[in-house]
Amino acid sequence: MTVLPILKSATLAAVLFASTAVFAAAKDVTISVWSGGSGPNDNYRTDAFDIAADILEREAAIRGEQLNIIVQKTPYSGWEDFKQALTLAAEAKKAPNIVATGHEDIGPWAQAGLIVPVENFIDLDSWPISDIYPNLMEITSFNGTVYGIPQDAESRPFFFWKPYMKAIGYSDADIEALPAKVAKGEYTLKNVLEDAKKMQDKGLVHAGYGFYPRNSNGPDYWQFYTSFGGVMEEEGKLVFDKAAMKRTYQYFADLVKAGVTKKNHIGMPGDQWWKEVATGKAGIWHGGTWHYARLVNQEGLKDFFNNVQFTLTPAGEGGKSNTLTHPLAYLLMAGHTDEETRIAADLIKIASEPRINALHAIKSAHLGISPSETKVDLYAADRWASEATERLLPHANAMPNNADFGKYWTIMWKNLEASWTGAKTVDAAVNDAETELKSTLGAAIIIR
Amino acid sequence: MIAPAAVMIFLFFLMPVVLTAIFAMTNMSTATGISGGVWQVTQGAVNRLKADMPELASGIAEPRFVIDEEGLAALEALKLKAGFTAELRTSHMGEVFPSRREAERVIKALKDRPSTREVKQISDLFNRSVLNTRFETRDELMASLKRLGFTLTPAEQETVAKATYTGWVWTTENFRIIANSPDMAQIFLNTAFYVSVTLLVFNVSYALFLAITTHYMPASTASIFRAIWLLPRITPVVIYVLMWKWLTWDSGFISMFMGQFGYPPKNYLLDSAYNAWFFVILINGFIGASMGMLVFSSAIKAIPQAHFHASEVDGASRWQQVRHIILPQLRWPILFVTCYQTLSLLASFNEILLSTRGGPGKATEVWSLAAYHTALQNYTGNLEYGLGAAMALVLVVVGIVLSLIYLRIFRYDTLISKPLIED
Repeated sequence: MTVLPILKSATLAAVLFASTAVFAAAKDVTISVWSGGSGPNDNYRTDAFDIAADILEREAAIRGEQLNIIVQKTPYSGWEDFKQALTLAAEAKKAPNIVATGHEDIGPWAQAGLIVPVENFIDLDSWPISDIYPNLMEITSFNGTVYGIPQDAESRPFFFWKPYMKAIGYSDADIEALPAKVAKGEYTLKNVLEDAKKMQDKGLVHAGYGFYPRNSNGPDYWQFYTSFGGVMEEEGKLVFDKAAMKRTYQYFADLVKAGVTKKNHIGMPGDQWWKEVATGKAGIWHGGTWHYARLVNQEGLKDFFNNVQFTLTPAGEGGKSNTLTHPLAYLLMAGHTDEETRIAADLIKIASEPRINALHAIKSAHLGISPSETKVDLYAADRWASEATERLLPHANAMPNNADFGKYWTIMWKNLEASWTGAKTVDAAVNDAETELKSTLGAAIIIR
Repeated sequence: MIAPAAVMIFLFFLMPVVLTAIFAMTNMSTATGISGGVWQVTQGAVNRLKADMPELASGIAEPRFVIDEEGLAALEALKLKAGFTAELRTSHMGEVFPSRREAERVIKALKDRPSTREVKQISDLFNRSVLNTRFETRDELMASLKRLGFTLTPAEQETVAKATYTGWVWTTENFRIIANSPDMAQIFLNTAFYVSVTLLVFNVSYALFLAITTHYMPASTASIFRAIWLLPRITPVVIYVLMWKWLTWDSGFISMFMGQFGYPPKNYLLDSAYNAWFFVILINGFIGASMGMLVFSSAIKAIPQAHFHASEVDGASRWQQVRHIILPQLRWPILFVTCYQTLSLLASFNEILLSTRGGPGKATEVWSLAAYHTALQNYTGNLEYGLGAAMALVLVVVGIVLSLIYLRIFRYDTLISKPLIED
């Protein structure tokens, strides 16, 4: 009576054992990839690894190894939730293998040992890494060590709604010449305010829609600080230029005072913001190169080039026109076996090849990471990519990789928001920022 | 029977506070990590050392890769291809490279063609600088410095260790930051305003009003009213707040309604600090009122009907009944609701997080929300666990102090003393 069940389970055990033996011969490796700030156009940040895994498996097969890579993809649409999840996962030793995040995370994460330098696993002289723009590689380095491989580049333009520019007296030729005038510093942030006011006075846009900034905190706001002559870092030390920061805060207070920007602009629903700029409800606004993809693909602005002109961020008093590039980087997280991390590094390398990276660049309207990428048909044939690269990228600077930059940013933003909404006067905001920077960062920041 | 209760109290009530207190005494953040640090000579550490020990700082500031006998011996021990060691010895002995990349170029060019993995292994062996190496212990760092020719006194070692440690340290700095920051003072005032107004207007007064008015209604009408006022409490908070947002957004109900009278649409929720407070207090007050209403209603129900009948025979008005019968017998529930709701308002921030996120411009940022933003969620991803915990600890202390004050005001001792009549 009992023989049959025993026999059954013995057979089952044997089958199970045999099947694991087969699997053990083939190497199964699970590589998890997380990415932050990834909207519907950014799927190739993680999808690139499907392609890369396929190639790496084939390469292994040719060498006579059987490698089976399972790619687990977790894209996050926002930043707060992503950074919270990732930091806590890493502290709990449950970090993914690869993460695509803003380069400014390299500083604190490297110090905390959450990431391992990419250069420990990748030959930097090998293609395609050797082909990546050196300034981008610089941005993904920290303490003289290359920690990440740039995943994309972008820059952040000012946008002008052409029909309204015409309605307030600009000719077609004037609008055509605007980018050059901005670059030379002949058209400034003061002109932005004046033109926004004119658009409202003429009834082209509602009050508060003349100049329509980003609706939330973002690297964009450092551009204004640069426009007003501020410097973020010098020789490894953060810099708080009090006068430049004051002019920056003052500018937003002035915008609100003139009625061209809403006092309660920050925190408005993002979907509403997108719909409004895509449909000509705003006169002048700013954003990133990737806005092109969203405006055209999701928001239905089919005739972008006839409706919108784009330029650098205009200069303000004491500074120059500029734009900021905020590359995302692929980073290798700590806490995995050497073997896994080496495979992850190989995947990053393949995913950085021009043709694969161009999928992301063009779909999401980011800029390419290497000169050869610009020669890929898909990229070369894209008007936005080529014009934006040419007009903006040469003027781009980046936020510093500094373990303390996040603190500086939080304090800078908090007080900008306070002076913008009128919760504090500009003077109080700048002084509060200075006090708090001194008490939290001490000697790590130069205040002048 | 006391043991299980004590264990529960310790685990679920005391432990969180104790842990918060421990975290509060550290400078733990994303950059320092939670589990402890290592000793690493980074560019930042070199900067910190420049003032005190300029010689050491300049000596360790540069990466340095040297092809020497020590490295070659280690390479032989690795048992890679023998050609590597031989060729390095004959062609590159004594060469010095200012970066890992340059050293690796030479290694890569060896005739036996090491793989990328081997190149990394080999270059590690010839690393003769301490820059960027993560030393698990302080002694390892000191030993490496000694090998580089820097023999340090214990005092100097202490300075170097302090400058290069990447982990968290014990500190009381968090409390100094809280005490000195003008923003913290503002957040503190916000919290005091939010808690007192919501508590007095809604959680106690309005709840009392609801309880008394429904007391005088026919039973069935009263239950309908109570059920309606329970809706905010039983609706999931995300949906409840979303409904408020629909009401107040640019494209929401109020905007549409006002549009009929020619007012341009605007975001009523975030239009100004006043608006934001108005809605935040309504959102929380409507939830809070229901709890008080239930407690007070049942307390009124517990008053013997004879009191009301007798007073009516004596010709007492409704107001006199409220003043002389209901309120005196509600002291205990009012104390309970005040105390409980103060603590819950102090600690809860989910409605504010979901509605205004503390905006506009941090106008509705309350203490618990600020602690959450500081410690766990902010845009730059710079999570300051230590500072956030210190803020939470302040909240614990404030809660305890307020509770003690309430007990005093409501004369708790007389509430729990035995009634004289039973003596």
